[in-house]
Amino acid sequence: MIICKNLALGYSGAPVTSSFDLEIDDNQWIGIIGKNGAGKSTFLKTILGVIPVLSGELTILSQPAGECNQLISYIPQEREINLADKMSGVSLIAGSYRGWKYGLPLVNKKLKQKVSELIELVGAEGYAHRPFSTLSGGQKKRIYLAQALINQPQLMLLDEPLADLDPHAKQHFIEALQKIHKHQKLGVMIISHDMHEIANHLDAFIHFSSNGVHYCPTIECVKEDTYVGV
Amino acid sequence: MWAYSFMQNALIAGLIVSTVCGVVSVFVILRRTGFAAHALGHMSLTGASGAVLLGMSSILGQLLLNGIAAIVMGLMGDKVKKNDLAIGVVLTFVLGLGAYFLFLFQNNYAGSVMSILFGNIFAVSYSQIYQLSGLAVLVLAVMLVISRPLIFASIDPSVAESKNVKVRMLSVIFFLVLAVTVSMACQVVGALLVFVLLIIPGAIGVQWGESILGITGISILVANLALVGSLYLSYYFDLPVSFCLTMLLSVSFFAGLLKSSQLYHKIMGSAPTINRSRL
Repeated sequence: MIICKNLALGYSGAPVTSSFDLEIDDNQWIGIIGKNGAGKSTFLKTILGVIPVLSGELTILSQPAGECNQLISYIPQEREINLADKMSGVSLIAGSYRGWKYGLPLVNKKLKQKVSELIELVGAEGYAHRPFSTLSGGQKKRIYLAQALINQPQLMLLDEPLADLDPHAKQHFIEALQKIHKHQKLGVMIISHDMHEIANHLDAFIHFSSNGVHYCPTIECVKEDTYVGV
Repeated sequence: MWAYSFMQNALIAGLIVSTVCGVVSVFVILRRTGFAAHALGHMSLTGASGAVLLGMSSILGQLLLNGIAAIVMGLMGDKVKKNDLAIGVVLTFVLGLGAYFLFLFQNNYAGSVMSILFGNIFAVSYSQIYQLSGLAVLVLAVMLVISRPLIFASIDPSVAESKNVKVRMLSVIFFLVLAVTVSMACQVVGALLVFVLLIIPGAIGVQWGESILGITGISILVANLALVGSLYLSYYFDLPVSFCLTMLLSVSFFAGLLKSSQLYHKIMGSAPTINRSRL
């Protein structure tokens, strides 16, 4: 799924990480751990090609970074949603369907069915048709999950999806992730400072630290102070 | 009243312009580019007055100046939304030029000045109708082609960018479309009131519609009804069309605002309903 060879991350000549090698198999669920500023979000943005590779090689789904983004879904930590007052989460999900293609965004029966299935998968049936602006933070995040799945991605990148959620909303979000893991075949890379809450559902971890970037098959490999209570 | 050819021309030109504005205004609202639309309208004054001074047609001057301004604004991308100061400075500079142009021809062309400022729909000629038709086909064709990525980039710009949608290119194209639409609308409502057709139909669509297509449909309908209504009012009560259009659209918007207010629901004892079948 992802191959990094002697890869260094950073912004226009200013390195954020030292060079590292990684190889992540298809459909793996990976947790990304590290302190603020260690390069976690930079890694996701480099995978998307938003930030260019500083040095080395990065191959995503057998293609160079930035060239297969239609197969990748990204849920950023902060985002600006410009829906009209009465538009619902359903409109956001449907409006994202093949949004890169030209033409009229007509909503047919097949797309309606697909949107309904995803809403059910993430457990948002009760509020997906309500105006999006009236939803709580946790409800919005589950709509974002459905939106991320609408284009049948092979890889999903989540940047701090549990941030700003109360324990109850966190639990609902994790349940939605569990259902996705069970029913959808895709790889996931998730950045979180609450990794202990989702560690059981992940296959491996990538640890960003001042000592470099390391692949850890279990959470025990990662020093406790980097993921608990940070 | 429709027996008069000037009324027929006014109706045809008005419907063309209001239909295009109905479509474009939805995206002005969604993309929160109201100030940019307002600035382009005022810049039209400079474009039109400069063109008339040079002996060119006013719409050509508007298209040229607005086109340049649109490309600059589009290239600024998201900064347009955040950096109102930059638009304000450019607007002031261009308006200053416009004031000078108006000073140069104020004595001989007082009628032209009023026409640029407030529009003169009853003076629309057949050739202007052909011009407006051609521009309308161009704008609507471009909007049809870019509508899907434009909607995506408008409602969720960061995710659209992550999907390789050319957000900045779309921004430039949209501002060019907006520039052409402003130049068209100036023929009907003038440079000072062009804002009314580019903001209020979309704002009313947003008040009532639950999907982009629904909002656009409402916006077009409202713009066209207001245009026809204002022609009637203007003809029977001898009032300026731009005044009637502004009043009709503003009152419709405030009525919608009142309808959705807590006070209305308290008085009527009802709650807003949500149509679950709509996407």
